[in-house]
This record gives sequence, structure tokens and C-alpha cells, in this order.
Amino acid sequence: MSNGVASHNIRSPLGLAHATRLVQVAESLGVFVLLAIVVTTASIIAPGFFTYTNLTNTLIAASITAVTGLGMTFAIAMGGFDLSVGSVQVLTAIVVASLLSVVGPPLAILGAVLTGLAIGLLNGVLISKLRLPAFVVTFGMMSVIRGVALLVTQGQSVMITKHVEFGLLNNGKILWLPVPFFIMAIVFAILSILLKNTAFGRHACAIGGNRAAAIVSGVNIDRVTIAVFGLVGVTAAISGVMLASQLMIVDATLGTGFELQAITISVLGGTSLSGGHGNLIGTVFAAILLATIASALNILKVISFYQYLAMGALLIFALAIDTARRAFIAKSLLSRS
Amino acid sequence: MDSTETANHSTARSRGMYLLGFLTKYYIQSLLLISVAILAAVNPYFRSIGNLQNILLQASFAGIGAAGMTLLIVSGAFDLSVAGLLGLCGVLISMLLPLLGAFLTFFAAVLLGVMLGSLNGVVVTKLRIPPFIATLGLMNIYLAIAFIWTGGSRVVPISDPGFNSLGTGALFGLPIPFLAMIVAYLGCYGILNRSVYGRCLRAVGSSEVAARTAGLPVDFIRILAFAIVGGCTALAGVFLGAELSSASAIMATGYELTVIAVVVIGGTSLKGGEGTLFGSFTGALFFAVISSALNILNVAAYWQYVATGAFLISALGVQALRSYIVVE
Repeated sequence: MSNGVASHNIRSPLGLAHATRLVQVAESLGVFVLLAIVVTTASIIAPGFFTYTNLTNTLIAASITAVTGLGMTFAIAMGGFDLSVGSVQVLTAIVVASLLSVVGPPLAILGAVLTGLAIGLLNGVLISKLRLPAFVVTFGMMSVIRGVALLVTQGQSVMITKHVEFGLLNNGKILWLPVPFFIMAIVFAILSILLKNTAFGRHACAIGGNRAAAIVSGVNIDRVTIAVFGLVGVTAAISGVMLASQLMIVDATLGTGFELQAITISVLGGTSLSGGHGNLIGTVFAAILLATIASALNILKVISFYQYLAMGALLIFALAIDTARRAFIAKSLLSRS
Repeated sequence: MDSTETANHSTARSRGMYLLGFLTKYYIQSLLLISVAILAAVNPYFRSIGNLQNILLQASFAGIGAAGMTLLIVSGAFDLSVAGLLGLCGVLISMLLPLLGAFLTFFAAVLLGVMLGSLNGVVVTKLRIPPFIATLGLMNIYLAIAFIWTGGSRVVPISDPGFNSLGTGALFGLPIPFLAMIVAYLGCYGILNRSVYGRCLRAVGSSEVAARTAGLPVDFIRILAFAIVGGCTALAGVFLGAELSSASAIMATGYELTVIAVVVIGGTSLKGGEGTLFGSFTGALFFAVISSALNILNVAAYWQYVATGAFLISALGVQALRSYIVVE
């Protein structure tokens, strides 16, 4: 961003500034274009896709993934990632389901969020204080937390029978929109402000962009790392609570592959794994995109293993289009300057 | 008198420093030796020939894949599609074995691996898709083809005495897959440390821009690295299929993360530019020793998840703590 401003000041042709802004807008809305295409296609070829019930269900599924994806985007912007989110999601879903038989929803949710926060902070401490690779720490933690979830439930499923009003967190509507959407929107708003408008967010991006420079500039790397992983833990826990309210019966086998899904929507949304910046709105659109594709394939009664095929092909197709788009923008920018 | 004492003291000290330096350089190797020594001392079953052979056998499946993955990670990319690729190769072996016989099937499987690996490389480099998404997408596609081929997650048989002996046989008391793993590591070591191509891999991994500016064919170098990963993964699939005498699309679920974890545990950074094959080799053995120890010590199934993860983190954690103390 600072590069764009600098080149504007030096050369200052209006066209370039305009083009730079165009690039920024196109960058942040890249997935949105794809999403629009997919939604239009799905509405035409899949009868019953464009109905209130189906759109609501798609939005709920997207919101659950997006919440963790938003936290993950923060971690990726800092140049790390967290493979333990799938296990954290299932453990916190079990925590909230189990607590509901003892205490009311607010305390149960608090318990789940604190569990996620604790695991995230532990990840952060191990990564920053012991200088361990994030891959190994969170991969190990993925296994540990999955084991804890299995031990807590002894392999049984936990059903939510008391305080069934907890399900409102999933079924409830505000102005025709499902509650999970608002949860996701709130998480999005908070993380956007954190990322763009606070020293904490800028420090996280600085660490991802150039770690050595961040250290020299006096950024407290350890503290920011611990806080970011704590944040990822909290978002995974919120996803866990949302999952529990959606299913009302949870077991320790849920959430496998969720970590790759969360990283996928971040990368698909335009956040590079090399770190330095995070595209939160892109993550939200990418989550909706994946949920839309899954829902359309379900409606079209595509057999499950053809769904793998379609999902794989669409992922690659989407990114290939994105590459072409970037190349086109870069070219038009060159011809303007 | 005084001076000799000081001299003795200083040699002892320098010897200590030397030992410390050795431990730092060969940390994961020392850790492996110590854990094997302790386990062998306390548990008679652990030191039985059968169990040691089994450890080598189990280590070779992830180990062979990790050999190729080390080269790819050095070049600054990684491949998440290996689980799907391995499943697809397994299914192919089951289908071809009755038609072609053991020898040709072996080559067909490895060839398929190399081809799919090159496809991964082409998609990543030519379509400029981040390796994470490209290989994850391709994993879904490979899995789907294997699913469709077997009509779901059906288990298909691999029964040919000659082929199966690849997985179950032993030469000089060492399981054949483990011998193949040694060969794979020697080959990859030659590539990475003794060839021009290996230097190119490291150049691309440390700075893609610099490598491009220097006129290196960056795309070709990466595609070749992906092809090597594909070949190694298919080789692992051959031995796994031969050992299990069956294959299915999901025979290697989670293989991608295990293989990358083996490489990272061994001391290769995901940032690219440098890597240690000896480390990956030891990392694979380390994983197998942990899981064998947990089984022998009768750790309950659910606790094994907790213990495996905790061991992984603490294995590297001890190293970090120690270097912390040295710095202090």
C-alpha cells in the first residue's frame, strides 16, 4: 500500500493513482466476481437453489467456516498458520454441549471460548518462546486436542437435551437473516478494525512482511504472535459453538479437514501464504463461494465422490481465472503508466 | 601441577563444548538413539527382531514420500496431493496386477506417480496457482478418480505372491521397503547435495526472483521437483499396497501432513532454500518409534493421539530450550 502512495507522490500522473485504486478494489473483490458467476449459474441450473431455505442454509454453513477462516487470515498475514483449528472446533463443540447440561447457554459458550483461547495461547507461547515452527506445534496440537476430545467423550456422541433454546444461535432470524451470519459479521467487523486500525494488526502484518525488519523496528514479536494464535483459538471456538448449535449432537470425529478448509478460504480470498497482508472480506466471500458450490452440487444430486472431483476442479479453475485477472490488471496498469 | 589441572579442565570443557555442538547439529538423531536405547533397555519386546523390523517397515512408508518432499520443500513449495496420489496409485496397482504381472505393474505405478507429480508442477507453475490450493484441489481430483474407479471407498485386493513379497519380504534381515527407503534417500541426497540440479533447487528456494534473474528455468526446476515427489509417493504406494495386500482410495488419509511433519521434524524449514535429507530419514524413524512404543506400552487408543502430539512438540521443544540455555 505504502508503495502505491509513494509512486503516486513521485510521478503523480492522475491515471496511475486511479489505476492503483482500481487494482486495490479489484484485488479485494476478486473472489466476489467468481462468487457472482457461481451463484448465477447455480440459480439457473439447480432448481431449488435460489430459495429462501436453501440460501439460508448455505449462508449458515459459510458463516461457520468463515469465522475460523477470518482468524486464520490474521495468522497467515503474520506469516504463520494453525493446523489445530479442526480439533479445537470439535473440542469446543463438545465443551459447550457438555456444559449445557449443567449451566445455561451464556456460561457454556464462555467455557468453550475460554477453552479455545487457552489452546490458542498455548500454541502461541510454544511457537514464540520456544521458537518452534508453527507447522510442528499446531500439527502436534491437532493430535493432542483430538485425543482430548476422544477421551472426554469416550468416543460417544454428546446430545444437547437441556437448554434447547441454544439452537436459536443457529435457527434464529433477525430481519430474515440467520443469526450465524450476524455472528460472522461481528467477528469480521472486529477483526477488520484490529487488522487495519490498530498497532496490533499492523505489527502482525509487519512480522509477516519482513520479520527481521519488524524486530529491528521494536515490534514485540513474541507478544503479537501469542495474541494472534490466541485470536485464532477464539475464532475456532466460536465456530465450534456454532457447529454445536447447528447439529445439537456432537462427537469427537467432527471437524476433520477443517484446518485445510480454513486455510483454503483464506488463500482463495486473496491472502498470500507468504504473509504480510490479510484480505478479510475476500475470506468471507471465499467461504460463501465454497458453501455455494457444495450446496449446488448437493441439490443437483451429484454423487459424493463426483463432488470431490467438482470441488477440486473448481478450486483450480477459480484460481486460474484469478491469475488471468491479475495478469490483465497488471498489463493495463503498465500501459497506463 | 596447577597448570596441568587447568589444561585438563580446559580440554574437558572443550570436549563438552564439542559434544554440545555435536548434539546441536545431530539433535534429532541423538534423540532417536537415546529413545531407542531406553525403550530397548526397559522393554524386552521392543528389542525383539520382529518389532525392530516392523519399525523399519512402518518408517519406510512415510519416509520414502518424505525423501521427495524434502527436495520440493527446499525449492520453496509443498505438495498436499500425496494422499490422493498414493490412493490412486494403489487402485491402479490392483487393477493392473492381473493383467501385466508384478514387474510391469511396479513401473506403471511409479510412472503414474511421476506423471501426476508433473501435472501438479505444471498447474502450480504455469497457471501460477499457489501450491497450497493447487495441490489441495488436485488431491480432491485424484481421490475422486480413485473413488469412481473403485465404486466408492471399496477395498480392492492386491494379491500376487511376487508383488506382495515387495512389502513383506526381507533381505539380510532388513525389510525390502526399508532398503528402498535407503536407496531413495541416497538418490535424493545425490540430487540435492552433489548435482547442479540440487544447487538450482536451493537457489529457487532461497529467492525465486534472484533465480529467475540469474536465468534459471525456475518453472522447469519446480515441475521436476513435483515429479520426484510424485515418483516417491507412488513408490511408497507400491510398498504400502504390497504390505496390506489391498488398496482403497482412502488408504493414505492424512499422509500429506505426516510426510511434511516428518520433513519439518528433521530440521528442514518450510521457508525453503535448505534442507537435510538425513534429518528427514531420522524423522521418519522417530515417528515409527513413537507409535511402536505407544503400542507396546499399551497406551490406550485415545491417549495415543495425545501422546503422539505431545512427543512431537516436546521433541523439538527440548532442543529449543537447550539452545536457549546455551545462549544465556
